[in-house]
Amino acid sequence: MTPAWLAPRACSVIGAAHRRQGKPCQDASLSAELSGRNGEALQLLAVADGHGSSRSWLSDRGSALACREAQRAVVEALQRTPLGDTTTWRHLLREGLPATIQARWQAAIADDWRHQPQNADPLEPVTYGCTLGLVLLAPQWWGCTGLGDWDLVAVHRTGEAALISQEESLGARAAAEATASLCLPQAAGLCARRAQLQPLAAHPQLRALVLSTDGVRKSCASDADFLALCSQVIDLDDPQQLEHGLEQITRQGSGDDVSLAIGRRAQPAAGRWPRRAGLALSLGSGTVALATALVAGSRLLQRPAPRPDPVLQQQQALCADPSRIRANLTPRRAQLLQLQRDPTLGQRLLAAPERDPLGALLARSQRSPLRACPPLEQHLATLWRDAGGKMPAAPPRPDERPPAGSRPAAPGSR
Amino acid sequence: MPFPNVRLSNRPLHFIYLCDCSGSMAAQGKMQALNQAIRQSLPGMAEVARENPEARVLVRALRFADRAEWHLEQPTPVDHLQWRDLEAGGITAMGEALERLAGVLQSPPMEERALPPVLVLISDGQPTDDFETGLATLMRQPWAQKAVRLAIALGHDADLEVLQQFIGPEPPGGGRSPRRPLQASNATSLAQYIQWASTAVVGAASMPASQVQGATSGGNIPLPDLPPTVLDPTDDVGPLVW
Repeated sequence: MTPAWLAPRACSVIGAAHRRQGKPCQDASLSAELSGRNGEALQLLAVADGHGSSRSWLSDRGSALACREAQRAVVEALQRTPLGDTTTWRHLLREGLPATIQARWQAAIADDWRHQPQNADPLEPVTYGCTLGLVLLAPQWWGCTGLGDWDLVAVHRTGEAALISQEESLGARAAAEATASLCLPQAAGLCARRAQLQPLAAHPQLRALVLSTDGVRKSCASDADFLALCSQVIDLDDPQQLEHGLEQITRQGSGDDVSLAIGRRAQPAAGRWPRRAGLALSLGSGTVALATALVAGSRLLQRPAPRPDPVLQQQQALCADPSRIRANLTPRRAQLLQLQRDPTLGQRLLAAPERDPLGALLARSQRSPLRACPPLEQHLATLWRDAGGKMPAAPPRPDERPPAGSRPAAPGSR
Repeated sequence: MPFPNVRLSNRPLHFIYLCDCSGSMAAQGKMQALNQAIRQSLPGMAEVARENPEARVLVRALRFADRAEWHLEQPTPVDHLQWRDLEAGGITAMGEALERLAGVLQSPPMEERALPPVLVLISDGQPTDDFETGLATLMRQPWAQKAVRLAIALGHDADLEVLQQFIGPEPPGGGRSPRRPLQASNATSLAQYIQWASTAVVGAASMPASQVQGATSGGNIPLPDLPPTVLDPTDDVGPLVW
């Protein structure tokens, strides 16, 4: 029988600011494949974010213990409760698991405190304070619970991504950067607000769930960028790429610790996932609206829309907002060098342009003139020149005079 | 498949001076000292901004005398900031200044991902307009609630009560605290307070730790200690006392 979910993955990376300040990573995360009494498979994703303030000086340990105790609590529940009993699991997500996890976490931090040099002082739970987000992936359903400023995003088969759980506003009077915490006496009760259980049968379009700590979302320039990140990160095959990508996120973004945990549904038996209408999400909110409109439009007409060329879409989006050209192309220098060294990479990128439209655009620019807007062509020419290569020059447009004399292709040469 | 190429961004940190430019600021060189203190603090502030690349420090200044108006309206990266001198003259429209400030603390224009703003109110006197209404308007803005609000009292005529209202509830116990008005009694102490606000506080606000829901006793962010006791009123405060 085909499993409902592929192997889960999770990764935490220390924030650039914490690294600079010599502080530990206060995030923790885990992914686990658990087995019930009758061999039932349940996957677990967890992320926890230690508060990191001077009052929460052991919150790195608190977040690690929260993930550990969450896993133990889920294992216990799985031994007692068949996954088909969704009524009980819904109740567990709302009340049972949060109460058990909080009690186990309190015991764990008390035990940890006994091994601290300052253990003569009474333990204040805030010392270990952290958030906790959990996602359970069962063959017939998925569920989540937890508290704090983590985010959960659903990625659909079309490539569209939607935020399905985030911390509610704590009100105008809440302190800056305030969040709910496992150290609060009412923590278990607060989890009920975030708890949900969704049958997979009711959401056939669901492709993946992405759980993240707040450092990821705060590093993205907009929520559209955050959703684009989630919709694309699920396709990464190399765990090292995920880690390096998270390092880049914290370095160029919030500087906070960052964690991602990803659960992916197994591919349909028929073959590949449908093509992703929302791939252009990476280009920003304007394109998100465009992608959404395209999808909505195709539904309205009740007939399949002609498949747009992802490379052309990418090209048009960059030309529509030239300020994005440098920001989007500069991080692709390594890919450009790789294209120079490995001719098969270009073939692979062009064979599936919807998977990486920008990469496919680079590959296409290596082979034939793009006829894009001058800023894009100039930047591409510069990149190719810096990489030791040369971009094919576009033929002159009908309304252009031929260049004076014979000139090689170079930035701005048209 | 490369890692997704999305737009990443550091978080804006808005630092806003609210400067009393009433006629009394012309006396005893207070206006000159304030201009000098702000100008001299800029290199240190820029250095802190460079050390904390996760925050994008953006400076603005609002002046108030007969009316409140922006002296530096555009949020300006501290590296690009060239301080133009403020000039004194008029009365003390502090309430109107707070209303003007409230306008820029709305979302939008405030960015969703912004860090808690730092607001520094500097005054040597008493408001001559409706301070209460101005403060109420300001504090209706969530970003004002989340802001780090500091106040510097120049000389002994400053109204400490209204400055404390701007900051928020007075902390329990006595003694010096950044959650009380900072009393600058001469140019030296003013310069040190401005330097502290624009470096130590900006550094703390650049990478704030998470706070537990409901815990407000420590203010919006844990503030760094005040500079050494040269600022203590009992210490030698220099040749000219305001």
